[in-house]
Amino acid sequence: MVKLTINGIELEAPQGELIVETVKRLGLEIPVFCYHPRMKAVGMCRMCLVETGFKQPDGSVRMMPKPQAGCTLPASEGLVVVTDSEAIHRDRKGVLEFLLINHPLDCPICDRGGECPLQNNTMAYGPSTTRFIEMKRHLPKAFPLSQYVTLDLERCIQCGRCVRFTEEISGDSDLAFRFRGAEMQPSTFQLTDFESRFSGNVIEICPVGALTSAKYRFRARPWDLETSPGVCTECSNGCNVWFDHRAGKQVRINGRANDGVNEEWTCDKGKFGHDWYNSTSRLTKPLVRRGDQFVPASWSEAYEEILAAFADKGGKVAGLTGPRVSNEGLFLFKRLFSEAFGSDNVDHRWRSGPVPTGPVPRPLPIASLESKRHILVFGTHLAEDLPIVHLRVRKAWSQSGATVDVAYSAANEVERFAKASLRCRPGAEAALAKCLLGEAVWSGKATVSDAVRAELAGFNADSAEEKSGVSGATVRAAAARLGEGAVVLTSDRLLDAPEPPSAWKSLKALAEATGSEFVCYPTGTNAAGAELLGLVPDHGLSTWQILEGCKDGKIEALWLVEADPSSTHDAALETVPFLVYQGTLENEAMAYASVVLPMAAPAEQDGTWTNCEGRVQRFRQAIAPPGEAKPAWRVFAECLLRARPSTPFFNPGEVMEEIARVHPVFAPAQYSLLPEEGALVARESLVGEPAGGGG
Amino acid sequence: MSELLQIGAQRPKAPEPDSLELRFSPTAVEELEALKTHYPDLKSCVLPTLWIAQREYGGHLSPEAIAEVAHRLSRSYAEVEGVATFYSMYNTAHKPGRHLIEVCTCLSCHMCGAYRIVDHLEEKLGIKLGETTPDGVFSIHEVECLDACDRAPVLQVGDQYVGPVTPETVDELLERLRSNPDSTVVQLADAVVKVHLRDGKA
Repeated sequence: MVKLTINGIELEAPQGELIVETVKRLGLEIPVFCYHPRMKAVGMCRMCLVETGFKQPDGSVRMMPKPQAGCTLPASEGLVVVTDSEAIHRDRKGVLEFLLINHPLDCPICDRGGECPLQNNTMAYGPSTTRFIEMKRHLPKAFPLSQYVTLDLERCIQCGRCVRFTEEISGDSDLAFRFRGAEMQPSTFQLTDFESRFSGNVIEICPVGALTSAKYRFRARPWDLETSPGVCTECSNGCNVWFDHRAGKQVRINGRANDGVNEEWTCDKGKFGHDWYNSTSRLTKPLVRRGDQFVPASWSEAYEEILAAFADKGGKVAGLTGPRVSNEGLFLFKRLFSEAFGSDNVDHRWRSGPVPTGPVPRPLPIASLESKRHILVFGTHLAEDLPIVHLRVRKAWSQSGATVDVAYSAANEVERFAKASLRCRPGAEAALAKCLLGEAVWSGKATVSDAVRAELAGFNADSAEEKSGVSGATVRAAAARLGEGAVVLTSDRLLDAPEPPSAWKSLKALAEATGSEFVCYPTGTNAAGAELLGLVPDHGLSTWQILEGCKDGKIEALWLVEADPSSTHDAALETVPFLVYQGTLENEAMAYASVVLPMAAPAEQDGTWTNCEGRVQRFRQAIAPPGEAKPAWRVFAECLLRARPSTPFFNPGEVMEEIARVHPVFAPAQYSLLPEEGALVARESLVGEPAGGGG
Repeated sequence: MSELLQIGAQRPKAPEPDSLELRFSPTAVEELEALKTHYPDLKSCVLPTLWIAQREYGGHLSPEAIAEVAHRLSRSYAEVEGVATFYSMYNTAHKPGRHLIEVCTCLSCHMCGAYRIVDHLEEKLGIKLGETTPDGVFSIHEVECLDACDRAPVLQVGDQYVGPVTPETVDELLERLRSNPDSTVVQLADAVVKVHLRDGKA
């Protein structure tokens, strides 16, 4: 810690902390454009000028003759900083005058107007009139850089935030500055398509309206929007977002800071993937089948039909849920089947191969990846399946110096920074895992039981080329890098590969035998929650047995919650005598349904979701569900109450209390205790070990 | 651009690495491998490689040339394009003629009549600054100080300075260049590559 003085206030700060950050802690403000706390400071815009000086041994202060950029100035002993002098105000005015020379000031038609740092800083510190009478620079306006990002070069103030984002955070370096001086423009190569998976973030970090969202363009002014803190439910990362809505309609998604999960970034799937909220094919009324067509019904009628088909049918009824149902909904779904229907045939898993059961080690918090020495990404297209985990793995490499290896059957983004890429043949994941384990065992790095050792005969670095298509030297080096401080990271996509149990077991054995950690993140939005809540059959039928059972008449009634197996099991849906489809959108499965129930989307209800690392996060209701749609938990609670008298649940908070009673790991997730950043509830297991068969 | 604004329009994509038509000659590849050993990081090798590309692509850093450099150095296309368009001695804007005459118009040369030389060149060749003659032999560019004020007004052609020049000596120079079939633009790029290969030592 060093002692320094800011505006006459003496304080202590860690040596080397940037003055912009120190000043922020004091509650004062230094205006910035190019500075971003999650990226390296470059001092490009000069907006953060401060006067500086140093305390002399005799106690006097010697000020420097010229101002310095506060974003590149580290705190040091005896530093004196003045952020609020007349000279500084003059400097800021001068800098803004320069920045505004070529800025078109088309704020009235700019999407950024109202939430624009340039606008705000100009109002606060800038000159009120311009002295510039010459022609402004003219450049392309509204250029479609990608399907999501629109580039307006005239508005750009050349701060370089977007360029640095693609370089430092997303790592694709898709944007760079072309030309120089006043003509300098951020651009992709030859203005080709900006294909980054994280392109939406540059819209948010742009301090002017140069990069705007093609989807949000001209749809609202920021002051017309209401915003609610939310959680993205498009994948299992559980990114924290701001859910912006207007007149009950979803308008846009922005990143919200949560250092444990997404820092403040979002992926394009999440940021631009919420359009379905406003889809015209949203279900709004319960429908019951009368002959060839659906007729609108009341919820009571729908419940009566469902209960007539399901109640007390035991093993003849089954339920399948999709990934987007809240913890509360999943819990009550399981309870409804076990208590009211007497059936254990409930499942949430959508894999073509055998399905996992049984415990594996506690999942690793995403943020802890940063402190690892080495990460082996195995059998998953990380940037596609778990985009935010991908950013963390990259951060571990770029900021903490971790080494990364990637083993996947196709080109993927991790290869850009990986030390070695083990590009195996599609389907050879199991063989590759065995070769890695074999190499670790034969080289004496790892010890395994004799049974495993026997299975490994013939699998080593030398046979890797022939068995998996990866060169022996690469396998040898990759195996050598595992050990203390290393992580073997995979996702449940590994289970889509042929021979999943073998790949899974070898990979887990590889991690254990070499002393590395093993983590398998689920990819379905709330798959972790479903796993923790036991939404798998204890002794009943699993997904594929249920669907097969529908075909051969063992299952007489099936309840689908946001699940659509019609592409693979059309016949099962056609054959089953009674089908309930509960969902947010119309889809193929509806064609065979006897009863259709409209479901509220995540933002349209209060509830909690569990992300891949086992973090329970609450999403409070932001907008009203369309028509008569109801949250899933409420439908199950009402069915339960109709089937047999019990204590009713009035709100999801009460359901969570019940969950915490039945599943003690959820105790910290009770609404009265749940912190804003969510609570990690993972127990021993999230995704279990794949059992054989099941299909 | 307007057609790109239409919904669903196909935006041009950056070339796939596999579809690039690599044009570096075996000598160029050899030189590049030698240059790579000079730097701890391939990023530092971008500038000399762009010079190799400028030579290999006939004095012009076309988008294809930039893409090839990026591919050979495992950098992103955009990053290399940013570097190439920053420096004025890389010919990215258009393909120059066989001989590129660069006229210094900075203070000393200006005072000694650089713009009279420019006027003379423009009249003689029938083109404006920044343009190329239709037969593709000459281009004329205006440049900042060439650090040869003692020879003002000075021109640069290839790796040679010519000056002080008068309209008469300019005519002689043009005749001499017209009869020279080898591109001085390529020759300059080659000279720079050679200097890099000697690690900057003359």
